[in-house]
Amino acid sequence: MSTNATVATAVFGGFMVLTVVLGLLAVRGHGRTGGLAEWSVGGRSLGTVFIWVLMAGEGYTSFSYLGAAGWGYNHGAPVLYVIAYLSCGYAIGYVVGPMLWAYARRHGLVNITDMVAHRYDRPWLGTLVAVLATVCLLPYIQLQITGMGVVVSTISYGAISLNWAYFIAFAVTTGFVVVSGLRGSAWVSVLKDVLVIATLGFLALYVPVHYFDGYGPFLDRLVAEKPDWLTFTGHGGSGLGAGWFVTTSFLNSLTVVIFPTTVAGYLSARNADALRRNAMLLPFYNVLLFVPMLLGLAAAFVVPGLTGAGSNLALFKLVVDSLPAWAVGVIGVAAALSSIVPMAVFMLVIGTMWGKSVLGAVPALAGRPDRQKPAAQVVVVVSGALALVLTYTEPNTLVRLSLISYEGMAQLVPMILLGLAWRRLTLWGALSGLAAGGALVCGLVFTDHDPVWGVNAGALALAVNVAVALAVSWWGPQPVDARPDDEVLAADPGPEAAPGKTAVSGSV
Amino acid sequence: MLKKRPNLLWLLAPYGLYLAALPLADRVHPTVLGLPFLFFWLLLATLLTPAAVFLAWRGDRKRGRA
Repeated sequence: MSTNATVATAVFGGFMVLTVVLGLLAVRGHGRTGGLAEWSVGGRSLGTVFIWVLMAGEGYTSFSYLGAAGWGYNHGAPVLYVIAYLSCGYAIGYVVGPMLWAYARRHGLVNITDMVAHRYDRPWLGTLVAVLATVCLLPYIQLQITGMGVVVSTISYGAISLNWAYFIAFAVTTGFVVVSGLRGSAWVSVLKDVLVIATLGFLALYVPVHYFDGYGPFLDRLVAEKPDWLTFTGHGGSGLGAGWFVTTSFLNSLTVVIFPTTVAGYLSARNADALRRNAMLLPFYNVLLFVPMLLGLAAAFVVPGLTGAGSNLALFKLVVDSLPAWAVGVIGVAAALSSIVPMAVFMLVIGTMWGKSVLGAVPALAGRPDRQKPAAQVVVVVSGALALVLTYTEPNTLVRLSLISYEGMAQLVPMILLGLAWRRLTLWGALSGLAAGGALVCGLVFTDHDPVWGVNAGALALAVNVAVALAVSWWGPQPVDARPDDEVLAADPGPEAAPGKTAVSGSV
Repeated sequence: MLKKRPNLLWLLAPYGLYLAALPLADRVHPTVLGLPFLFFWLLLATLLTPAAVFLAWRGDRKRGRA
């Protein structure tokens, strides 16, 4: 091993140990007693700061370092949709977050699966949604594993092989999340956010100065030599025009507020106002997303000719090329944690959904949160291990599934958001809409018709989904449900629902 | 809900800035502080989004909510 490899690997290894220790320390004094809600949603006790750290941690994944820089390198402007949809989604989270939070707290719910089961009064609906959501989430776990793999292998100067790096991603994440759940993820997010903000802030200043003698010359060259990167449809015939940008950002902004990992963050709040404050503060984090995109554009000058998966490493090529080994190690840790934190929360919500809504439907576990928690913990390990094994053996299966992940999850929006706000949406309406939208997404994406007519296929499917849901609700069968509206629907909790009588006291 | 809380309309501001205004902002020139116009516009939108949510929050607060 070269000196560089030794230094960078040592830095990386040290931080990975620190990550597991930090994740495990989080659970001190909270662990044994709390049951499923303590583990899944941090006992509903997190304040504004921890929510911010956690949700920023979830949103800023390995995609931000790899995909964002890669898209910036290959195409330019279209990648900005990430910023657009996160900002819009965080803003409407101001309303949606407190609604879901109050609903879950009032009825003792832990994620979207038991929310729909409660709303439509059908436990099997929760089971169905849990299975569908898992199919959409598993590819994300794999994306984090492979993302961390290429980062670790690059920043260790090849000393850690891809296959070992995949395993480390799985082992470190499982190492803390099984025991300490969401609280552990929040603690690790603190380390992650500090490193991400520091390293990206540094790179944003350093790279233009190092390679271009400052921002002025860098931007001038960009405008003069790469204008086709700077507007839609971007460089290289991506087919991603303004119509695609608008529909994708709109669709994703609705999806992100019901995404199971986001909902886990909402439900962990101590009170509704923590979520409202968070909706104000979270969009600031998006400023950081401009950095990897700009660095991807910079890499188009410095290391031209990267193709395929290689372009995802655009940012790290610059880092390894221009910085000493210890700094490469630290930046690699920040990127690795950007895989680990989201992966931990993905695994956690899969465990939560199965523990409550799939295994929870088994008679021996029904109504027993004390037994549902260990069941959920087993599912966490199984889901992580499954994603790891598929990464080794069938990498393409999950890559294909990942194409429908977000657009597929989007088809749950009417069932959840519309359903919780509007009583007349019936079970059969919501289900028919989901079936129609889901089928259309699969049909279009797997036949390479996304975007279709310049529009995001998932957005088109969502329109069909809503139309079918409304039609069937109007003219279809009307299930009998005698419960009053305020038992079934979600409403904004208002100011008085702050620190409630059922609150689990104590800080994080 | 919007009748009682018209301040929540501020939450739609990001949709206006990022999406509705996009056809006007999709251009390289004029550059602002060297930034291509589209990037400048989206950066501005990113900085204005928290302000819009703040205005929604302030409206709630005045009404004794939040």
